[in-house]
Amino acid sequence: MPMERNELDENTGTSAIVEIIDNGPIKISGEIMFWDLKRDITDSPSEIYLCRCGKSSNKPYCDSSHKMRL
Amino acid sequence: MERPRNHFTRGRSYKNDEITVYWKPDACIHASYCYRELIEVFDPGRRPWIDLSGSNTERIIEVVNMCPTEALSWKWNEDARNIDVERDQTNHIKFKRPELMSTEKAKDEIRPVSVKIMVDGPVVVKGNFTIRYNGKEKNFTNGIISLCRCGGSNQMPFCDGTHRKIGFEDK
Repeated sequence: MPMERNELDENTGTSAIVEIIDNGPIKISGEIMFWDLKRDITDSPSEIYLCRCGKSSNKPYCDSSHKMRL
Repeated sequence: MERPRNHFTRGRSYKNDEITVYWKPDACIHASYCYRELIEVFDPGRRPWIDLSGSNTERIIEVVNMCPTEALSWKWNEDARNIDVERDQTNHIKFKRPELMSTEKAKDEIRPVSVKIMVDGPVVVKGNFTIRYNGKEKNFTNGIISLCRCGGSNQMPFCDGTHRKIGFEDK
């Protein structure tokens, strides 16, 4: 379920949601400043899916390689 | 790791002629700046792992200031010099006391949330955010966490430093 903007802004002052998907990637959504120090990339995406199995061939992003694990 | 801030059970200090470097292992999130920048001084495979004789004071200060947590901090041995230390020396010991910053102020100062992909290491998330994992939900105000990207951590979803031991290469 994508987070609604107002849900992010209310209450806690939370600017982003970090969601660890079971047996899947890290999803981060909201107000983000993104740095990839190895590839020297900076960006401000509203949503990203990051590999956390170490197998993606499109790192740091998830490419669904986790589903191919033996 | 998610631990209470300012709660450290252990700590060590290392001195050269000019500065003292403080090490608080409980605060380390394995962001890995220190050993990637200056392995001559910060070598996790050596004991003791910090050896200030490996570089000059200026360079050591530069690298200690890169540490995103309170794990590494420093001060001048000559107390008078500490008074003039400026904000850009982020890891000077006098700026490493977040209890001085009120929660409200922290909320205003930090947005958006910073997401940093560390070189061959974890992703470090910093700021005001909510994390959901294993059916749990936690809010962080001016918080910092480090999440595993190598797939090898024994403390999933958090980084425990395993990427270095297994030689994880982000490519």
